[in-house]
Amino acid sequence: MKRLLFIGFGGLLLLLAFTGLNALSVLTKIQARNEGIRKDYFNRDRILEQLRSDIYLSGTHVRDLLLERDPNLADTHRKELDDARSRIEANVSAYDRILRGEERDPFEQFTTELKAYFDSLRPALEWNASERRALGYAFMKDTLLPRRMVIVHLADQISAVNQKQMEAGNRQVAVLFADFRRSLIVLLVLTLIGGTLLAGGSIYRILRLERISGQRFDEVEQARGALRHLSTRLIEVQESERRALSRELHDEVGQSLSALLLGLGNVAAVLSPEAGADAKSQLYDLRRLAERTVAIVRDMSLLLRPSMLDDLGLIPAVQWQAREVSRTKNIAVQVRADALPEDIPDEYKTCTYRIVQEALRNIVRHAKAKSVQIHLGQNGHNLLLTIQDDGQGFTPAREKGIGLLGMEERVKHLRGSFQLESAPGTGTLIRVELPLSERDAGVLI
Amino acid sequence: MTPVRIVLADDHTIMRHGLRLVLERQPDFAVVGEANNGREAVDLVILETPDVAVIDIAMPLLNGIEAAKRITEERSKTAVVILSMHSDESYILRALRAGARGYLLKDSAETDLIQAIRAVCAGKAFFSPAVSRVLADDYLRQIQQQGVEDSYELLTARERELLQLIVELKSTKDIANLLGISPRTIDTHRGNLMQKLNVHSIPELILYAVRKGVIS
Repeated sequence: MKRLLFIGFGGLLLLLAFTGLNALSVLTKIQARNEGIRKDYFNRDRILEQLRSDIYLSGTHVRDLLLERDPNLADTHRKELDDARSRIEANVSAYDRILRGEERDPFEQFTTELKAYFDSLRPALEWNASERRALGYAFMKDTLLPRRMVIVHLADQISAVNQKQMEAGNRQVAVLFADFRRSLIVLLVLTLIGGTLLAGGSIYRILRLERISGQRFDEVEQARGALRHLSTRLIEVQESERRALSRELHDEVGQSLSALLLGLGNVAAVLSPEAGADAKSQLYDLRRLAERTVAIVRDMSLLLRPSMLDDLGLIPAVQWQAREVSRTKNIAVQVRADALPEDIPDEYKTCTYRIVQEALRNIVRHAKAKSVQIHLGQNGHNLLLTIQDDGQGFTPAREKGIGLLGMEERVKHLRGSFQLESAPGTGTLIRVELPLSERDAGVLI
Repeated sequence: MTPVRIVLADDHTIMRHGLRLVLERQPDFAVVGEANNGREAVDLVILETPDVAVIDIAMPLLNGIEAAKRITEERSKTAVVILSMHSDESYILRALRAGARGYLLKDSAETDLIQAIRAVCAGKAFFSPAVSRVLADDYLRQIQQQGVEDSYELLTARERELLQLIVELKSTKDIANLLGISPRTIDTHRGNLMQKLNVHSIPELILYAVRKGVIS
């Protein structure tokens, strides 16, 4: 389809170019032809006209000669006649060179008559004055005038042929023009049909592509929605599993180990003084082991989900996390907390806590910070969290890790806003606002 | 000599049994009742009015903090010792606010329980050494990291004396007698003291004292 459209458009363009060039060349040809015909006609007409006028003139000179008594003036008339004759001969030979087939017969007649005419004049030219007076009139009436009439008539015939020739030439041009018009119409109709077909094909293809891309877009949107749902679900499942594991470790394993520890202590207390040092040292080792295990279990439980979050609320959990980092990583983490509503929904507490945890983890790993300020408060009906460190900063557009994306995802899920401000050398500020419902925003601790 | 009467509350039977064994090794201690949850503990204390109630912080039905609060409201004579797995100060503050006088970590219960009971019986507060150590370390670190002045240095000798007596849970009347000054002067001193330390309640003051090692 795509290839077809390409070929179609290419062909259409070629057709248009061909039509244009063809029209141009035909028009030029027609114009040249027209010009040629006109020029030729006028050239012939001019020669014929000169011939006609010279023939008339020759007659006039002969008449003047015949009427002349003065021998000197008669010579002048003879001379004029000779001039006219040589002009006529020059024009005849000029016309002979451009003679056309259709003119041959009348032209041959014309030259024959012309020769005869001049031959008939010859005796009269030799006459003296008295002869001219005596015979002149009769000669003019019987010989000169009729012969001259015949020649001029022949010249008119040739002229008429010439006229016809020009008209024929014009008709040819008209035929040529009509042919050209026809072919132009055909080409234009072809172009129009081709163009319409192509436009139809293009529209069809565009509509099809649009439909397909619309379908794809819907699919992508659906997939994105499903992915978002999945990631939300994943966070929820992870959180609930962590909570369950943490509780289990803390309440069951931890308590049992504490009881075990207590029991071991009691056994040691009731151990008879006679019991060997071996038993005592073994008991001591067991207690150390139980103590270590208790500590490990407690750390694991807190790492999974600090019990403060569920037992005491968001602020104590954040404070604990801050103290943990201060204690183990030597970074001064300060928490400033305003009074918060008592019944913040669980997912908001979890989200806020996890963001603090992740942010502190990032700071410990990358920021080289000396101090961190965490603020928990309210902004209207929103829960507001800011985390500011004095570390080396980074370029968020380039170095945004999966942790930050996770934070953003959590916040987006609760329809909150997540802002990150950082640049090399300026530290990092994270600002999160989570919209609490109006019901949650009223009651303060 | 009348024995020290004790009520034990913990939802783990083995734990309770172990604690009982520890206590019964003391000839002057008598465990007068055991409770399986917070509500039972409150009922038992109201019934028996023991000298000491040892309460697990995490129990079903009514948690240890709530139980402690009820007990101190109903039977102020009974000193509450909280048993806990948590060494975090948020839990300790919560316990103090509920009126507990002792805070004991479970994993050191075997060694510290006797001492704790004797301390609270004598009207003093008691905290597991591990807890005191953590709080004191945190306080010291905080001062160093933030480069602030230790507010304890701002206190006058009289205020320090007063702090010691307050956290030993002496009544205003006792303190007045001990120091030979009027109760109203003590109120003024207490106000100054709390302002200087930026604390707003007696539990916070006690917590501060633990951090500073005034109570060990």
